[in-house]
Parts: sequence; structure tokens; C-alpha cells
Amino acid sequence: MIESIVRATLLGVQSGMILALIAAGLTLIFGMLDVINFAHGALYMLGAYFGSVIAAELGSFWLALLIAPLLVGVVGIAIEVFSLRPLYGRNPLYHILLTFGFAIMIQGAVVQIWGGQARQIAQPALLTGTLSLGVVDYPVYRLFVLAISTALIGGVWLAIDRSNLGIIMRASAHDTEMVDALGIDVSKVFTGVFVFGAVLAGLAGVLLGASRSVNPGMGMGIIIEAFVIVVIGGLGSFRGAVFAALLIGLVTSYGALIAPTLTDLALFGLMAIVLMVKPNGLFGATEAA
Amino acid sequence: MMPVFELLRDDDEARTGNQILSRPGRILLAVGILGLAAAGPIAGSIQPFWVNLLVRMLAFALLALSLDFVFGYAGLLSFGHAAMYGAGGYTAALLVGQVTPNALVVLPASVLVGVVVAALIGWLSVRARGIYFAMLTLAFAQLLYVVVFTDLPATIAGAETVTGGDNGLYGIGSYELAGVGFGDPLAYYFLTLALVALSLAGLIRLANSPFGRVIQGVRENEDRIEFIGYNVQRYKVIAFAISGGFAGLAGGLYVPFQSVANPGLLHWTVSGELVVMVLLGGMGTLWGPMVGAGLVVFLEDRLGGVASWEVILGTLFVLVVIFAPRGIAGALISLRDDPSGAVDSVKEALKNYVREVRD
Repeated sequence: MIESIVRATLLGVQSGMILALIAAGLTLIFGMLDVINFAHGALYMLGAYFGSVIAAELGSFWLALLIAPLLVGVVGIAIEVFSLRPLYGRNPLYHILLTFGFAIMIQGAVVQIWGGQARQIAQPALLTGTLSLGVVDYPVYRLFVLAISTALIGGVWLAIDRSNLGIIMRASAHDTEMVDALGIDVSKVFTGVFVFGAVLAGLAGVLLGASRSVNPGMGMGIIIEAFVIVVIGGLGSFRGAVFAALLIGLVTSYGALIAPTLTDLALFGLMAIVLMVKPNGLFGATEAA
Repeated sequence: MMPVFELLRDDDEARTGNQILSRPGRILLAVGILGLAAAGPIAGSIQPFWVNLLVRMLAFALLALSLDFVFGYAGLLSFGHAAMYGAGGYTAALLVGQVTPNALVVLPASVLVGVVVAALIGWLSVRARGIYFAMLTLAFAQLLYVVVFTDLPATIAGAETVTGGDNGLYGIGSYELAGVGFGDPLAYYFLTLALVALSLAGLIRLANSPFGRVIQGVRENEDRIEFIGYNVQRYKVIAFAISGGFAGLAGGLYVPFQSVANPGLLHWTVSGELVVMVLLGGMGTLWGPMVGAGLVVFLEDRLGGVASWEVILGTLFVLVVIFAPRGIAGALISLRDDPSGAVDSVKEALKNYVREVRD
């Protein structure tokens, strides 16, 4: 009993932190660029595919973890510069059509190049096996994922909260014109935020790709969960996204203990309740968006 | 953070609103419907399969029409229209399978169920605005999806099966009306076309009615409409319920024709695709989203055999957003207003695009 609870808690926190990596990018992109990025799941999937190719060709998980997210970042630059940048200031609802277009385009390209079958990313030898944590034996790789995603989220939080760049980012989200008038190239900040979100999604793709399978449906599967998290946390709120990601991770993993078929019910039920009580999410701005 | 719907109000000029509802517009629509009526038998004589495709295009056009009424006119972005569509579809499946194939009983029931589901979802969701409203409708639609997928009604009622769970319901017969069967695809096509045309006519009238003006006012400036003394929440719920009725009708038309009802009808990807169809067609024009939906269904079917059809469809969406920001309807309207300027405006759009990218 205690063993399964500890196991579920560890799993919940770990999947919550991974979800936070994806949701953080999504919420930052929305908060600053006012873009509802449906392609975010596709970027996550792309990270997993790039990772699986690099891991297979170069035989190194670590190189895959390093290079794949950067390649996803390059794709992110292309999307931002060639399609989003000319469209800022236009009706943002059309960004849904745009990013949805990219999502199915990337998914189609992935199937075209690598086929429809699932692929694998081999876990590094260093991280195989299990570690005894007293009550439970837990896979080392999962502990590694937990540690690295927590460190990354912590780093991002510090960067947003403390660094100059973070201040510029938050200021641009608050009042783009004023920041522009102060002589800061907001256009570059926008590109940076989008690419940063893409890199985080790519990282999550490699990390999860090595513990789950890499398949063309993974992007569309995760995007809706990420949206739920972002909305529960409050659109544009970073700490809201992290908090909601942990909440959803734990609810899902405890839910799997109690009633595995009803975890979706818990996910969407939770969002419905939160939004009916707090229509702008837990950490959202009080003014309706 | 720039509120999404604040920006929506900024481009009043760009909205393609009421233009097609003018007299020439209505005549053009009537001609289009007569053209479709003629197209059915012609397509059927070339290749019977084409009639099948036409019926599916019409069903999705009706669904897109229902979404545009609430999205384009009332400004309520619904991300849960699959709920009403699926509810109407399952209603038709259960009634045709177990009660009666009479279209005069089943189709109104599908509409009614759509209205009830939409009224409930709308009533629970209107507290939130903008994207939060969209996400609430998504949540309730997904809850309904889980209910159907896990066959919760059967568990509660103690029956063996109600919704058929994961597999759905199979072998649903076609409609009958006054002793005439609609088993023939062409007959079904005419039934569908007639109902779609009636729905379009009804919604155009409604959009131009005082009620329609109020909900457009809600879209433009919710607070002002409230100050004038209208009960904004109630208007939103009513608009959502009306839209849900038409979505239910679309489900009721689609399911007996396919003779299958599965949980996939209610999945969020249907709602998502629908929003994309409306935007592609040009929201707020009623006819544009219908064209958009028909085009997407057509392309998905025709390109299905091509290896990279998703890449082609995705590229189309991206290009439309960049070069035809008001969708297909917007592009057609500016072409009608200024046919000679078409080449120039394409050049202008390209120049603007290059400048913005460099900037």
C-alpha cells in the first residue's frame, strides 16, 4: 500500500515536471506573443524523433539530449520568423489556424520520413537499472528525468524572475509598445521566447521518448493536456503552469491507482471546476482575457 | 497581455460581416444551392462514390455553419462543438436502431438533444470569457466523450450496453419519411441538401433579426450591451443553444448515412478541426465556413491516397493565414469588389510579407 503510494507520488511529480517543461513554453508564448500555439505538441514530437535518430546514428543518448532540442529550436526560429512575425497585430484567432497548419504539416512530414511505426531512444547505460529508496525500488532513469526537469524549471524560473532578460520579457508581455519605445528590439525578444519554448518542448520530447515510445501521435496526445495545464494555471502565468502541471501529474498518477479508465474525467473535470470557481485560472490576471 | 478578444474588435473594417446577406448575395446563394442540387445526380452518374463524399461535405458544412453562428456572430469561440454533434449523432443512432426510422421523429430529436446539451454547456461556461470560455466548452465536451467512451449510461442503468463504448454502434439503418426510404445515397443527398439549405436560410434570417443584432453587439462590446440593459449571459446561452441545435442536426444527418456512431464523433480533434474549417472559410460570413468545411473534407478525402497529404493541407492553412487573412470568403469578397486589383493586391501582400519578415 505505502509502496504503491510512494511510487505513484514519484511518478506523478516526475510526469508533472515534464509536463511543466512543455506547458511553460506554451504559457510564455501565449503571455508574450498572444499566440495559441497548437504546433507546440508537434515540436515536442519533433524533439523525440530528432533524439531517436541522433541516439541511433551517433550511439549517444547525451548527444541526442544536447543536439535534438537545438534542432527543434532551429525549426522554431523558422516558424517564428517566416510565419508569426508578419502576423503580429492581426486577429490572433487566425494564429490557431496557422499553428494547427504547422502541427499537421510536421506530423505528416514525420510520418513521411520515418514511417508510422513507433521508435525508441535507448536509455544510457549509466542510467539503467533501479535504485533502492527504502520503501521502493525506482528506475534510475526516471529519477534522472525528475532531477533534470526540476533543475530546468528552477533555472527558467530564476531566469524570468531575476535576470535582465527576464525583466525585459515580463515587461514586453505587459506593455509591448513601451518596451519598444525604450529602445529594446521587441521583435528579437519575441523570437527568443518562441525558440526558447520550442527548445524546452524538444527537451521534454527526448526525455520522455527514452522512457515511453516515439510515435507520430504523441504530439496531438500531449498538446491538449498541456493546454489544460496552462488554463488551470492561468494563461501566461509561469508559476501557474508549473503548479498546475504538478497537480495534473499527481492527479493522473493517483487516479491510475484508483480508477484507471477515469483519469481523463479527472483531468477535464478538474479544469471545469477550477474555471467555474476562478474563471481566469488559478494564477491568471483578474481582468478577463 | 493583450486580450485576445480585444484585438478581435479592432478590425471592424476587416470583418466580412453582412455583405453576403444583401440581395445579390442571397440570389448567389440560391444559385449555389440549385447548382449543388444538379451536381448530385451528375456526380452520381459519373461515380456513385462522389455522392457519398458530397453528403459528408454537406454534413460538415452544416456543422461549420452552426459554429460560425456562435463564433463569428456572438464572438464565442467554442472548442466543444463535437459534443453537440456527437450527441445528435448518437440520438439518431439509438432512435433509428431501437425506436423508429421516421426522419420526422428522429431529426427533431437530434436537434432537441443538441439544444439541450448546448444549453447546459453554454450555461456552465458563459461565466468565463475568451479563451477560458473555449477551454470550458472543451472540458465539458471531453467529459461527454469519456461518458460515451466508457459507456457510463450502461453502468448507471445496469444495461448491457447503451453507447457501445469504444466500438460505438454499428449497422444503423437509414431514414424513412412517409413510406419512402432514404437508403439510396442520392435520395439521402437531397434530404441533406434540403435541410442544409433550410438551416442556412434560417440562420441568415436570425443573424439579421433584432436578436442577431444584439449578439453581434455582444461580440463587439459586451460591457456596452450590458449597460444598455440586455442580459448578456442569457443572450449568449440562447445563441449557443441555437447553434447546438444545428450541430445536433448535422450529427443526426451524418450518423445514419455512415451507419456507424463511434466515440470519435465527440473527440476534441473534431472540435479543433471545425474551428480550423471556420477560420479557413472566413468566420462571420456563414457561407464562408461552409465552403471551408466542404473544401477540407474534400481535400482530406481526395488527398488521402497521396503520401504526404497532411503536409499539403497544413501548407494550405499556413498560406491562407499569411496571404488571405480573412479566409476564403474574405479573398472572394475582395476579388468581387475589385477584380482588376487582384494581381496588384497579391503583389502588395507579398511585398508586405517580405518587409515584415525582414523587419
